[in-house]
Amino acid sequence: MTDAISISNAELRFGETAALDGVSLTIPQGTCFGIVGESGSGKTTLMRAVLGLQKLDQGEICVLGNPLVPGRAALKQRASFIQPIFQDPAASLSPRSRISTMMNEVGTVLREPHAALFERLGVILNRLGLPQSVIEKYPHEISGGQARRVAIARALLMKPSILIADEPTAGLDVSVQGDLLNLLQDIRQSDNITLVIISHNLAIVRLIAENAVVMRSGKVVEGGEVGSLFKSPREAYTCELLAAWPSVTRAPALNR
Amino acid sequence: MAISLRNLSVNYSLQQGTAHALRGVSLDIEKGQMHGLVGESGSGKSTVAFALMGLLANNANVTSGTATIEGKSFDLTKRNATADLRGRGMAMIFQDPMLSLNPVFTIGTQLCEVLRRRTPGSDRKTQGAMAEDALAKVRLSNPGRRMNQYPHELSGGMRQRVVIAMALLSEPALLIADEPTTALDVTVEAQIMREIIGLRDRIGCAVLLITHSLGLVTEYCDAISVLYAGEKLESGTVRQVQRQPGHPYTRMLFDCEVPIDRERHADASQNRFTVIAGDLPDPRRRPPGCIFNARCDVSFEDCAVVSPGDYPVRNDDSHSARCLRLATP
Repeated sequence: MTDAISISNAELRFGETAALDGVSLTIPQGTCFGIVGESGSGKTTLMRAVLGLQKLDQGEICVLGNPLVPGRAALKQRASFIQPIFQDPAASLSPRSRISTMMNEVGTVLREPHAALFERLGVILNRLGLPQSVIEKYPHEISGGQARRVAIARALLMKPSILIADEPTAGLDVSVQGDLLNLLQDIRQSDNITLVIISHNLAIVRLIAENAVVMRSGKVVEGGEVGSLFKSPREAYTCELLAAWPSVTRAPALNR
Repeated sequence: MAISLRNLSVNYSLQQGTAHALRGVSLDIEKGQMHGLVGESGSGKSTVAFALMGLLANNANVTSGTATIEGKSFDLTKRNATADLRGRGMAMIFQDPMLSLNPVFTIGTQLCEVLRRRTPGSDRKTQGAMAEDALAKVRLSNPGRRMNQYPHELSGGMRQRVVIAMALLSEPALLIADEPTTALDVTVEAQIMREIIGLRDRIGCAVLLITHSLGLVTEYCDAISVLYAGEKLESGTVRQVQRQPGHPYTRMLFDCEVPIDRERHADASQNRFTVIAGDLPDPRRRPPGCIFNARCDVSFEDCAVVSPGDYPVRNDDSHSARCLRLATP
C-alpha cells in the first residue's frame, strides 16, 4: 500500500533560520502519526508544507503517492483528501460569516447539492455533540471547545482520507480534551482515516499514535514506534521533554 | 495568615440576564505558599483574580466579598477597593505576556516604571541598575541588552520572564499568576515555574496560581482549591486532596489527567480517554441542590434538593469539600 504521506529531505529556510532542515518521514495509511517538539521546532511549518500552503526550498513531499503540484487547481483537488484542523480554531473561522456560510463553501468545492450537504452535516454535528442550532451562529457566539469541533466538522465534511490536527487539545479543559480525543479515535476507526497529530502534549501522543517523531529546530531528532520511543528515548532532547512533563503522581488512594 | 478572601460573589449583567460568576468563594493563602486554584474554563477562576486586582469588566458587579491582605481589610464591593495595592501589595502574571507588556516601550522603560511607583525618589540610574538586576535574577540571558529591546524582539518564555521580573521589583505580598505557562512549551513551562518559585522564596510572598492543569498544581503547589461553576467545591493541602479527594468532581478531574506513564494498549486506536460527561450549568439559573449534581456519578436523591455545606474530610480541619456524602447524619 502506498504511504499516506512521505517526505524526503525537506528543507526550508526563513532568512537565517532553518525551519525545516532535512526532514524525511513516512506515514503509513490508516495509522495515527504524532509529531512532537517545542514551539519553533518546525512542526507547524511541516504541516503547512504537506498541505501545499508552504513551498519547500528543497525536497519532495508525496501525498498518497502523488508528488505535490503547485497551483490553485491542485490545491483544490488535494482538499478533497487531505484536511487540516488548525491550532487556533477561532482564527480558522471567519468572524464575519455564520457557520452555515462556511459549510456552504464545502458544498461549492465538492459540487454537492445544498440539501445533501446539510444532511451529511447534520449527522456529523450530531456525532461531534454539537447542537444543530450551531450552524446559525457566528464564531464569537460559541465557546472555544465548540469552535474546535466546528473546525473538525468542516474538515470531516470534505470526506478526507488524511486529517492533520495541529495542537488539537491546546487550551482545552481536561474534561473536554478527553471527549475530543475519543472522537478522533472513533473517526479513525469508522472512516479509516490517517491521522497526523501535531502536539507538545507527550502523554496524549503516546496514547493515541502508533508512530511518532520528535522535532527540534527543523530536524527530526528521534522517531519510531511510540511505545519504545517513550520508554527508552535515545536522544537527550527527548529525555528532557519527558522530564519536563508535570505529572500527577497519585499517591495510593487509602480507601477507594 | 497572609491573605484571606471571604465570601466573594460576582455577577455579570448580560443582555440575556444576570450571570452569577462567583457565589460565596473564600480562600486562605499562607505567606510563602503557593495556592493552586483549579477549575474548567467558565468556572470563575480568572474572575477571582480580577476581583482581587480590581480589573473586572464594567458589567461586573461584586455583590459581596472582603479581602484581608497583610492585616488590612478591603471591601471588594467598593469600586477600586484595592487600587492602592496594585503594583505595591499585589502583582499579577497574565496568560499572554505580550498583552501585559506595552509594545511601544522598551523592557527597561517598563521595568523602571514599576520602580517609580515602588520607590519614588530614587534616581534613574539606580532604578536602571535594579531593573537590570531583576532581569538577571529571573535568568534572562544578556540582561543589559534586553533593557533596550522591545517586547516583540523576545520569545514568549523570555517575555514571561520579564513580567516575572516586574513582579519581583514590586515585591508584592500576593502574586497572582493566571495561567502563566499555558502559552508556553513544556520545557519552558518548567523553567518559568521554577522562576515563580524562586521569586516567592526570595520575597516570601503568597502566590495564587490559577490553572486548569492539575499536573502543575500537584507538582508545584502547597494547597489547592477546586472551583466549579462559580463555587468552591473543595480545598485542602495538595497531599490531602490528591490522596483522598473529598468531592467527586475533584476525583473525576484527577482521573481526566493523562499521566505520561499510563498503561498503553498495544493497538493505539483502542486507547480511550476519560471525560466528565455533561456541561457546566447555566450561570444565570443555578439548579437547586448540589451544583455538580447533574454530572456526578455518585449522586443520590438529596443531592438535587439539599445544598451541601462545607464539610471536613476525614475530620481534618484544613481539608474540606462541599459534598453531601461527607455530611455525618
